[in-house]
Amino acid sequence: MKKDIRSVRNIGISAHIDSGKTTLTERILYYTKRIHTMHDVKGKDGVGATMDSMELEKERGITIASAATYCEWLDNEINIIDTPGHVDFTIEVERSLRVLDGAILVLCGVAGVQSQSITVDQQMKRYKVPCIAFINKCDRSGANPVRVVNQFKEKLGHNALLMQLPIGLEADFDGVIDLITMKAVYFDGDKGEKIRLEEIPTDLSQTAHDNRENLIDQAAMFSDELTEAILEEQEVTDEMIFAAIRQGVISRQLTPVFMGSAYKNKGIQPLLNAVTQLLPCPLDVENQALDMDNDEQTVILSNTTDKPLVALAFKLEDGPYGQLTYIRVYQGALTKGDTIVNARTGKKVKVGRVIRMHADQMEDIDTIAAGYIGALFGVDCASGDTFASPGISLTMTSMHVPEPVISLAIFPKDNKSEINISKALGRFTKEDPTFKTYVNAETGDTIISGMGELHLEVYIERMRREYQADVTTSPPRVAYRETITQHAEFNYIHKKQTGGAGQFGRVAGYLEPLQDEDFVFENRIAGGAIPTQFIPACEKSFKTCMKKGPKMGFPITGIRIVINDGASHSVDSSEMAFQAAARGAFLQGYAKAKPVIHEPMMKVVVETPTEFQGAVMATLNQRRALIVGSQDEGPLSVIEAQVPLSEMFGYATNLRSVSKGRAQFTMEFLTYKQVPHAIAEELMKKVVEEKKNVA
Amino acid sequence: MLLNPQCGKTNAELTTDKIIYIKERNISMLKNELILNNPLRRMGYESDDILNKGQFGAVMARAGVGKTAFLVQLALNSMLREKKVLHISLDDHVKKVGLWYKEVFSRIATQYDIPQSGQLWDSVLPHRFIMTFRVEGFSVPKLEERLTDLIEQDIFKPDMMIIDGIPFDDSVNSDLIKLKTLSKKHPMHMWFTIRTHRHEEPDPNGTPLQLIPVADLFEVAIQLVPVGKQIQIKALKGPGTYGDQPVLMLDPATMLIQDQA
Repeated sequence: MKKDIRSVRNIGISAHIDSGKTTLTERILYYTKRIHTMHDVKGKDGVGATMDSMELEKERGITIASAATYCEWLDNEINIIDTPGHVDFTIEVERSLRVLDGAILVLCGVAGVQSQSITVDQQMKRYKVPCIAFINKCDRSGANPVRVVNQFKEKLGHNALLMQLPIGLEADFDGVIDLITMKAVYFDGDKGEKIRLEEIPTDLSQTAHDNRENLIDQAAMFSDELTEAILEEQEVTDEMIFAAIRQGVISRQLTPVFMGSAYKNKGIQPLLNAVTQLLPCPLDVENQALDMDNDEQTVILSNTTDKPLVALAFKLEDGPYGQLTYIRVYQGALTKGDTIVNARTGKKVKVGRVIRMHADQMEDIDTIAAGYIGALFGVDCASGDTFASPGISLTMTSMHVPEPVISLAIFPKDNKSEINISKALGRFTKEDPTFKTYVNAETGDTIISGMGELHLEVYIERMRREYQADVTTSPPRVAYRETITQHAEFNYIHKKQTGGAGQFGRVAGYLEPLQDEDFVFENRIAGGAIPTQFIPACEKSFKTCMKKGPKMGFPITGIRIVINDGASHSVDSSEMAFQAAARGAFLQGYAKAKPVIHEPMMKVVVETPTEFQGAVMATLNQRRALIVGSQDEGPLSVIEAQVPLSEMFGYATNLRSVSKGRAQFTMEFLTYKQVPHAIAEELMKKVVEEKKNVA
Repeated sequence: MLLNPQCGKTNAELTTDKIIYIKERNISMLKNELILNNPLRRMGYESDDILNKGQFGAVMARAGVGKTAFLVQLALNSMLREKKVLHISLDDHVKKVGLWYKEVFSRIATQYDIPQSGQLWDSVLPHRFIMTFRVEGFSVPKLEERLTDLIEQDIFKPDMMIIDGIPFDDSVNSDLIKLKTLSKKHPMHMWFTIRTHRHEEPDPNGTPLQLIPVADLFEVAIQLVPVGKQIQIKALKGPGTYGDQPVLMLDPATMLIQDQA
């Protein structure tokens, strides 16, 4: 492990699906000598890329779990987190970004800025991750890096700065022109390992000079030294330019753009140089924690090893030797044998094995210092937990965790599977906060819920493969909600006199629709109409009612309940009586407040070759979509629509068949919207039928 | 099957046809209120749409004066009347065009103090379709192909089309003639934005240079002219040209059309 933290880079590689990020990572590992042969994602050799260590990932050619690895380049240590590109696994991307200091945003030289690139970019903005861009696939037919750079500026709003120019394109793509050193860079040898520097081809010389001028002009915005040198016509050194650009990158005001073809082994080494020269080291990034003893005040962490430990467990994996916890240390050092405290549970943990990961191989180390990423064995924790030195009550800011939108019931096929399912579910829920599971109290079914069909599919497949748990599933269920549409008053008396102590309570007030919040309870009782000690009982009872709507049994959202009157009895009133009165009041008011059913609407973005645009729109139209618009992007057309989640099941297959497999789509939760009357009636029938079946 | 003696429909048909839910009634009342409040009604145009089917209208102004905001208000007015609007932009992306609508709508909602603006927005949104092209990739045959797709598959049949950002250069004449045919084939009216330039002198009637060669194709032309700190809406061609109508302004703060009276 490097002693100097300035030579450490914690980076991620983020991109749209199929932009080639796993291939790029594979090349980086090869050139940094972490691996000795290169495999392709869906290579003929059947080995698969090194970072795709899960069997399922190799089979489907997608990266599911982010694997962490490290490598060395020009005396710098680079920790790389490979991140998945599917929206279904966004929590993985978000977790990775949370612990990174910088990122490489990979863009496809042909398809350009795609919908997932936009999602990933937004996530980078949320976590303020500086990035450099790499335009991949410059060897492919239709590649046009200049168009991609323009899209990068227009669609993502980046101040993109061309650092290189391509020498030839598509099948003629030979190498790149470095606009700082003003040399043509070629990649010779079987695997592009031999770099040959030449003079810039004469036909590109003028363009290169113009672009260099532009580069220096833009870089000068971030450095007084460079501006002075230009104004006083002194020599502008490469170091000056790099320093200025680095400043722009760290402040997220500049995004340098590199290019190449990972598959053809071109342009990778200059990108690695850029990672070390332009992306920030842990010292350049300000990390904050929350002080739990001090009303969650933000505290700036120091990034030094002499301070008490603050570390974040950002990923868990169930390996052959037990639970593996990926950890990033933000302050202090984590050493073998130390005692640390889990800030969430307050439990003390003794640090056992400390390791450094390289995809699915590992290396034992003694300590993880501030700024580094490593992994621990045998530590019981959940993903997102903070570990700190005893006596320190700091916790890292919580990560944004979206609510699951889809669920399905799973049934074990045999007894052995039943035991294994529970083990698997325990593991998955710890690993992934967007994956949730519970037992339906009415039906006794085990329900799993997550962020999309593919998300749940992958977990079911993992149950089969990793836990030998054979399961059958019910059709996916959508997380419907109930809400009210108008103001309604209630005034309910609960009175019971059946021998023994009586029960009495009257609750009056109103309920009304509420936007942006799920539940607000307001107590406007004056003059002690309801004694103060019974108010919490009323609130508790209202909250319980919200869990299951009287209309169809879905959870209720968006209600403000105000109580402004009531009555009590000196002997017969009790907490229980007021709970019952509040329940009665709620049911009375709710029935009058015109309740409706809401369903999750998804923002669906389909990218399709233009010739299939009509067919794709038809598929969306059949699914109750509101098509917002279509965007012509040269050979591709991007269609944006809002579609009810309940209509999206099986869409991937449908889309593949109408577009000959050439269209792809992304989907993310947008909002809840009212279900049309006809559909609501159908739902109602289903609910009634289900209730009958249960009975 | 039993038929209702009054209207000759089955009960099932009646439930879908005749029932107006209270919430929907409120929304339609809100829509009517907004339509009645529309200041453009006072500009002397015979129909609420200003243009009839097959007719062309132009909104002219220098860059940044408010052409898109003006047209978005015309579009919203049509959408409130349940007319379908196809908005074509050659400058902006779908997201940006969508934001224009959202922004202008929320300003109108604030101005008229609309309580259920979210529901009203949800009810007008299905009446809009945004299509964007790159300027160099735009052609009338391509547009016609897309439009036919939408109409034939019953996805969207526009009553009004806005074309924002088409360059009014030498080649525009032939494009406009093709578009005129298109507007008659699929009956609809079309609005265009025309960017004028400070350094170009208009003709003696005040018609900007870009419009002169194609003026015959346009039934209505409206110019947005900055006057002091305000933007005046001036009719150059069509009703309201002779100064007998109230002066309308585009409020530079909200970009909403205002009646100065």
